[in-house]
Amino acid sequence: MDDLLAEFLAESRDMLEALSGEIVAWENDPGDRERLDAIFRFVHTVKGNCGFFEFPRLEALSHAAEDALADVRAGRRQPDQALVSAVLAVIDRIAAIVEAIGAGAELPEQDDAPLVAALSAHEDEVSPLAAARSLSASQSRRQSVMPRTIRLPVQLLDRVMSGVSDMAVARNDLARRLAQHDGETGLEGPFNRLSAIIGDLREAITRIRMQPIETLFSGFPRLVRDLSQELGKQVMVEVESGEVEIDREMIEVVRDPLVHLIRNAVDHGIESPADRRAAGKREIGLLQISARQTGSEIRIGIVDDGRGIDGGKLVQKAVAAGLLTAGEAALLSDRERNALICEPGLSTASEITAVSGRGVGMDVVRANIEKIGGSLTIDSTPGAGTRMILNVPLTLSIVPSLTVAVAGRVFAIPRSYVEEIVRASDEEMGRASVGGREFVTVRGERLPCIGLGEVLDLGQDPGASRLYVLLRLVGGDTFGLAVDEVRDHEELVVKPIPPVLMACGLYVGSTQLDDGSPIPMLDISGIAQAAGMIHDMKNRPTRRGRGEAQADERTLVPALLFRGFDGGERAVEMDAVRRIEKLPVAALRTDPDGGSQIVIEGRIVALASFGPLRIEGETINLFRTEAEGREIAWAYAEIVDLCEFDPAEVVAGARRKLALIGGRPVELYDSQALLAHPALLLPAEG
Amino acid sequence: MDRSLLLITIGGELAALDSAAIRSVVELEAITPVSRAPRHIVGLSALRSRAMTVVDCRRALELPASDARGPLAAVVELDGFLYALQVDGVEDVVPFDGEPAEIRAHLQPGWARASLGIVETIAGPVLLLDPARLIEGPPERKAA
Repeated sequence: MDDLLAEFLAESRDMLEALSGEIVAWENDPGDRERLDAIFRFVHTVKGNCGFFEFPRLEALSHAAEDALADVRAGRRQPDQALVSAVLAVIDRIAAIVEAIGAGAELPEQDDAPLVAALSAHEDEVSPLAAARSLSASQSRRQSVMPRTIRLPVQLLDRVMSGVSDMAVARNDLARRLAQHDGETGLEGPFNRLSAIIGDLREAITRIRMQPIETLFSGFPRLVRDLSQELGKQVMVEVESGEVEIDREMIEVVRDPLVHLIRNAVDHGIESPADRRAAGKREIGLLQISARQTGSEIRIGIVDDGRGIDGGKLVQKAVAAGLLTAGEAALLSDRERNALICEPGLSTASEITAVSGRGVGMDVVRANIEKIGGSLTIDSTPGAGTRMILNVPLTLSIVPSLTVAVAGRVFAIPRSYVEEIVRASDEEMGRASVGGREFVTVRGERLPCIGLGEVLDLGQDPGASRLYVLLRLVGGDTFGLAVDEVRDHEELVVKPIPPVLMACGLYVGSTQLDDGSPIPMLDISGIAQAAGMIHDMKNRPTRRGRGEAQADERTLVPALLFRGFDGGERAVEMDAVRRIEKLPVAALRTDPDGGSQIVIEGRIVALASFGPLRIEGETINLFRTEAEGREIAWAYAEIVDLCEFDPAEVVAGARRKLALIGGRPVELYDSQALLAHPALLLPAEG
Repeated sequence: MDRSLLLITIGGELAALDSAAIRSVVELEAITPVSRAPRHIVGLSALRSRAMTVVDCRRALELPASDARGPLAAVVELDGFLYALQVDGVEDVVPFDGEPAEIRAHLQPGWARASLGIVETIAGPVLLLDPARLIEGPPERKAA
């Protein structure tokens, strides 16, 4: 309602302003039909709008003026000076009242009756002069309350904002030069004051760009009403904006995803009245849309009490579509199952309606949210409803960031992605290189890693001890990004970059450091994609679950799935493996009797192979084990995957153990089984 | 006729840009390289608080790279983005009226792609370059 009122006030003010010229012209030439029409439209609009609000005085005034002007328009009455004055007096009174409403002040204590009487009276009966005079007072008051709100073009705001940014850059430059002068320059005091002022200004200017999220939400009740009518459903909407303010630009960016989620909720979530009755629910479905601010993020919830998401059905579809194997599907947490709805082409809607469910949509929604550094989580209870939570940053232009350096270059990473920073030398961190891909293990969670310098072709030395920034993508996939140095946490003003740079797919924007030098901000999902991470991770849930998922996944055992030289697949428990590596063939020595050794770190280590050892290329794939004080290197043809298996499903035969991996039985080795491996016995026998 | 042209040299040849399109000529200070950007994009530089994308005109014209590049760049704005067109030298501003004439000869592909036509100036005939096509750069080749 407040919005409508503000709209009404703004509209009235705009019309009054435009009208002021018309009124004067009409006064000069009361026969001017165009002016008359303009004034008539104004009082008519005011009268119409008053119907929404309870403003009896405005209504009475505008109604009386409208009647009088209608008479003139219909030719029943000649406009004379008295009428013009009376109408002007009424318009001025309306202006005074509108201003009073806008200012939240008490309405001017005046009797409107003489004004109304003046409208209907004839020239000589009542002089409108008295009424008009009382108005000049209120008119001057109007001048003083007028500039409470103004409308500005957004471009102007942007100009002011970039001006303030320029100031901040100039200030930083000045600060650097001041610092070069050792000792007192006498400028420190004024400079600090200037700094503080610029800081304040910057904050104020950022606030200017904010808008209540209500402006975004206000269209939703109507949207839901129209949708539910179209679909023959009954839906009650509760919108709660929580007085959250959000960047203007952000409003535009989240509008489409939100509309899509709401459409989905009404179309797929909430059942038809008959179905609801059958399920023992109220016929009217409930849809709640709410917003909260948490730190530098805004959380928008869309909650319905509909049928919920059929996670089982989603998993079936995903398996049928080859997105994941049955074994992998079994490892998913509820949330991860629900997140499958965002996979391209996986809509559970059994029939396609005009509203949603064309198989495009949720994946696009997710991609768009991801693009702005947001996230989407979906919780659902079948039969009881779905809760979709959209997290988006407060503003597009100021992004809390982490600056990192690699090969001497600095890059910004949106902090919303950053989970943790770990050091390669940390005790609790393990590293392994598998099939050319590096992995780090942090508190039992094994994560694939990429070197930022490698992705960006910066010739980073992959062996150097480095820092890993653990990044969590929307959807929960986590990976490590190796960097040389973590510089700082900063709030950075991010500007878009031109299409020619966007096209690399690795950057989302550019920003300036305090010294004014521009640095690119990384597109984390782009980087993950460029490094082949997203594919790897989506299809291979190698990590052990966290939180709620932990309980049912804890028992899983990580293993390395590999192929022997004979082509057979085998798996070895990760616990038995000390290290996975590739070594040059030159380090290998083969005895005529079939025994082999390899030189590792200056030591000679016995080599065993899965299947007859076959050398192709210049390196050989190995993993090393150590059991009963004996170090052995195991050669194999290639790595298939890192995987997990459920020890409860391991079948131990007389000679070998079989684990169920990816739905297939695979020969499994633990450290005991390795010791008993025939390859080890061979040299002794020979 | 107060149109004028900025005469520049790229790869030892004189060329022209329409002065109306140029916001300023600046001396580039620090340039932040942008990895994996197209080859003709040198990196990012700042013009006060605004970031500019620095375009190497030699590479944009598919000319051999050289160290003879001067520190000067012509700044143009396109679709709200600032670009600094890095040239070998900035020679002069000359008056110009008339329209660029069609080129009736085969030029090197880079020049042919980026020029709007030939213009007669007091310094002789020169090619009028289109900043947008310089920025766009050579067509993507399949990675070798």
